[in-house]
Amino acid sequence: MPTLTFPLSRIEGHAQVTIDVQNGRPVSARFQAMEFRGFEYLVQGVPAEQMPVIVPRICGVCSTAHHVAAVRALEDAFGLTPPPLAQTIRELLMLGQIVQNQATSLFIFTMPDRLGVSSIFQADSAAADADQGIASRALRVRRAGTSLISLAGGQFIHPIKAIVGGVTSGIAPEAAEVVRGEVEAALGLACELFDIYWEMSLALRDRIGTWGDDEPACYIAATGEDAPRYTDDTIRVMCPDGCCHEAFPARDFRKHLDFVESEYSYADATSYRGQVIRANSLARANMTQAMGTPLADGYLERFRQAFGRPAHGLLLFDLARGIELVYALERALEIMAGPLSGEDTAIPYTPRDGDGYGMVEAPRGPLIHHYRIENQKIVQAEFVIPTVHNMLAIERALRVVAARYITGESINMELERAVGRVVRAFDPCIACATH
Amino acid sequence: MPEEAVRFAVLQLSGCAGCEVSLLNAEEWIERYRLMYMPLVVSAYDVPPVDILLVSGGVRTDEDLYNLRRAIPRAKQVVAVGTCAISGGVASLGDRDEVRQLFLTQPERRHVPRMLPKCHPIDAFVEVGRYLPGCPPTPELFMAALLDPADFKASKIVCQECGRRKVRDLRPEHLVGLRQGEVLPDICLINQGYFCVGSSTRGGCRAPCPRGGHPCVGCRGPSDVLIDKGSTEWLASIQRVFQSLTDVPAAEIEQAARSPQMALFLFQFSDYAGVDRPPRPKEKVL
Repeated sequence: MPTLTFPLSRIEGHAQVTIDVQNGRPVSARFQAMEFRGFEYLVQGVPAEQMPVIVPRICGVCSTAHHVAAVRALEDAFGLTPPPLAQTIRELLMLGQIVQNQATSLFIFTMPDRLGVSSIFQADSAAADADQGIASRALRVRRAGTSLISLAGGQFIHPIKAIVGGVTSGIAPEAAEVVRGEVEAALGLACELFDIYWEMSLALRDRIGTWGDDEPACYIAATGEDAPRYTDDTIRVMCPDGCCHEAFPARDFRKHLDFVESEYSYADATSYRGQVIRANSLARANMTQAMGTPLADGYLERFRQAFGRPAHGLLLFDLARGIELVYALERALEIMAGPLSGEDTAIPYTPRDGDGYGMVEAPRGPLIHHYRIENQKIVQAEFVIPTVHNMLAIERALRVVAARYITGESINMELERAVGRVVRAFDPCIACATH
Repeated sequence: MPEEAVRFAVLQLSGCAGCEVSLLNAEEWIERYRLMYMPLVVSAYDVPPVDILLVSGGVRTDEDLYNLRRAIPRAKQVVAVGTCAISGGVASLGDRDEVRQLFLTQPERRHVPRMLPKCHPIDAFVEVGRYLPGCPPTPELFMAALLDPADFKASKIVCQECGRRKVRDLRPEHLVGLRQGEVLPDICLINQGYFCVGSSTRGGCRAPCPRGGHPCVGCRGPSDVLIDKGSTEWLASIQRVFQSLTDVPAAEIEQAARSPQMALFLFQFSDYAGVDRPPRPKEKVL
């Protein structure tokens, strides 16, 4: 039985797709995460209060999400509510992460698929976009996210400013002003680039004839109902028809989500009562009433008119990412228009033993850290990773493209590109998924 | 970009991709250098011949080792970037019997790369021309490593780049640190009872952590004065700093220095990968 192997690039981490073919038909499609470091084991015995420094090292792309989730898990265990100013600064931090991640995914990871080049950094792509200057504009948008993370997190990778009980300090008005100018400029560029991206996506749809013909799925997100909030306390589930909703707190995740181990991958997979689920941008776009900022709401309306609610086509994950990029920049400007410095940035605390659950909506979906603390040390840690929620959905979509492009007579060379597009639509993070 | 532009590649072993993200933020290389291979942002299946090969991540699996050994002969110069490539990094916290057993068994996972017994620094297997420590190294440090490292002027220690003032009238008796809530601006974190090791950590990062109110955890490793002397010397120098600025008992300092978040970085140059290796020459460390 021949096996087709597709090494993956322009995603975070080491993964490959393998498709087994028998008698000219695909019989299985696997998404294999190929790395493993064992964080759940290696943090055992670590002083609980050091987790916000250690766990961002799970992933340099998602370090902000892990940093805030760790702090929130400890606050849950210690029974603390950080002051409002700290919560605002953390929101700004999470928005920076959304900007950086969605700009990277849209322009560095997936735009080359639409341009037909191997990378936006390579010489051949310079010719392709000579008249548009896409690469340099894309990097400026991305840099605005980096600046927001640095401003609110102290460090743009493995941030340090969120601490148990709050944040280490407020943000000085002069520092905020510099970044505000950068974000304002980035917002204009992001809209221009997203319009180009939307057009390119329409062209792609015309060429391949679909937005993704996989079946509908359930969606999960932890962003609240009215407008996206990335530090909500509740996970919500939307059924494929868009109606029935269920909501549960982070600490109940095992009652609602089933975890499956895989023999061919270092990443597990999650299902919701046996059903395939999807997390990430499309889940959030489907599950929020509105974005709550003017430009992003304009894009969301256009999106809903074109694709309905809930929207299911896989390439719509990428468009939803663009809407969020615009939202995050607008929302960051709103926050920076208000005060960000003041006395009340953190509260004193006394550590205590017990269980703590910390959740954030990371760019790829709901992220939960669960720590069991005894004698102020970690005795058990669980990291529930958003990419893992998408594993079954990724493999199901891979089976669909395999069936589409492998026939008894031949294999359409489009298959390799389709595999890349499917995987990148989910923007999986392998370092996180395997941890 | 001229045809003769320097060609470089980035080989990512087991790590978090933070080094790659930092390199993306350096940006200045984009117009000047030709990026030949970096799976995070380029679709290319193998490392081609290059002038500079940056290697990030530690050698955790048999596949990491295979990829490393395959890539090295194609590079004129090899740079180990980040803590994981230099010492194994955070994965070294798993260098304990109970964790090792888990890695060596994993019987249910059959079609994946095999785990090595521990995470190794890359120079356990190959010759390294330059070390770029930091978790991750800042974009500025990446640019210095790619351009002309001899030109790069860094402070000797993080303390010099921090700007917080050391004072005489604040002498904490214990390392209360973050538990106090708010951090005083402008005043040395050691005076405030934080376990900050910026006083002996290699400079060059511009001190974002202590300036942001979080103690330095030493991710750049020991300063040049200490780099070839072993971690015992570093621990002793940390003790001396705390004795001069605080009344914290020595045993408390010792315990804090040997805690996991510090252990990630404190031992990255001297006590690495067993005991039979000479220290890395400081001329090779940026």
